[in-house]
Amino acid sequence: MALLRNLPRWLLGAGLLLAFDLAGRTLVAALALPVPGPVVGMLLLLLALMLYGRVPRGLAEVAEQILRLLVLIFLPATVGIYFLRDLSSGDWVALLAAMVIGTLISFTLTALLLNHLIQRAGTKRNRDSHVD
Amino acid sequence: MWIEWQRWLDQLQRVIGDFAQPLTGAHPLVILPLNILGFWIGLKIYRRIGSPILHPVVGGSLLVFAWLVFMGVDFAAYQRGSGLLYLLLGPAVVALAIPLKQNLSVVRKVGWPLMLGLLVGAVLAPLVAVVIALLLGGSKTVLIALTTKSVTTPVALALAQEMHGIQSLAAGVVAFTGIVGAVFGPGLLRRMNITDERVVGFSMGVNAHAIGTVRALEISALCGAFSALAMGLCGALTALVLPAFVTP
Repeated sequence: MALLRNLPRWLLGAGLLLAFDLAGRTLVAALALPVPGPVVGMLLLLLALMLYGRVPRGLAEVAEQILRLLVLIFLPATVGIYFLRDLSSGDWVALLAAMVIGTLISFTLTALLLNHLIQRAGTKRNRDSHVD
Repeated sequence: MWIEWQRWLDQLQRVIGDFAQPLTGAHPLVILPLNILGFWIGLKIYRRIGSPILHPVVGGSLLVFAWLVFMGVDFAAYQRGSGLLYLLLGPAVVALAIPLKQNLSVVRKVGWPLMLGLLVGAVLAPLVAVVIALLLGGSKTVLIALTTKSVTTPVALALAQEMHGIQSLAAGVVAFTGIVGAVFGPGLLRRMNITDERVVGFSMGVNAHAIGTVRALEISALCGAFSALAMGLCGALTALVLPAFVTP
C-alpha cells in the first residue's frame, strides 16, 4: 500500500533525473560543448532547484537511493581495470607513483592553503569585532 | 532533442533485448545478480573490517572479477550484460545536484576561502599527478586517466568518454586515489597540527571524492558535509574545465 502511494512521487523524481540527463546531453550536442552531457544536466538541475527554492520530496528520495548505490552503478566500469593488459610496466610505475605521491602532495598543499585562508578570515573577523 | 531521446530509447531497447537472449554465463540475469551480490558482500566486508583499503569499490570489483575469471566470461560480454547499470550512470551524475543544493548555504557562510581553496585544489590534484607521471615517462593513456583522478567516479567516467580515455582505467585510478587519500589523509593532517574539521573535510572531498567523504563522515558530520560539498563542486568544476585542456 505504502509503495503504491509513494510510487507516483518516485516516478516523478526518476523522470526528472532522466529528463535533465537528456536535456544536458541535448544541449551539449547542439552547442558542440566539450563537456560531458550529464554534468551539464546536473548544473541545469541545480539551477532549476535554486529557482524552485526547495528539493521536491520524490526527487530527494530517489536521488538519495541512487547515490547510496553509486558503487554498484559504476561497478562494471571498475571491474575493467583488471582486464587492462596493454599498459607497459613503465606505465604502471608512473601511474602508481603519480597516484600515491601525487595524492599525498596535493592533499597536503590543499589543506595547508585552506587552513591558512580560514584562519586569516577568522582573525580578521575577530579584529573587526574588537573595533566594534 | 529527439536525437538524444532516440539514442537513449535504442540503448534501452538493446538492454531489454539482451534479456530475451538464451541463458549463458554472460546473460543479464546472471550478470546483474552477480553485480548486486558482489556489491553487497563488498559492503558487508567493508562494514565489518572498517578499513578504507577494503572499500566496496575494491572488494566488490575483486569478487566480480574472480567470478568472471572462474566462469571464463570476457570483459566485453560482461559489459553487455551490465547494460542496465550503464543506463543509470547519466541520471546518477545528475543526482549529485541534490546534495549540492542542500549544502549551498554552508558555502555561502565560509565563502571565498573555500572557493579559492577549491580552485587551487582542483587544479593541483591532477597537475601534480600528471607532472609526476610525465617525469617517469608515462604514456598518453596514463596521463589522460590521471587528469580525472580526484573527481567522483560517475563524473570521471563521463569525462573519460569525452576525452577518449579508457573508462575502466579512469575508474581504477579514481578508486585508488580515493583510497590513498582516505587511508593516509587524516593522519597526515594531524601530524601537521591541522585539526579544523572543515579543512580536513574539504581537503578530503577535493582530493579523495566519495571514498574520502565516507571516511570524513566517520570523523564527524561537519567534516562529512564539507567533504561532500567539496566533492560535488570539484567534480562540476573539473568537468567544465578539463575537456578544454585535454584534446584527444
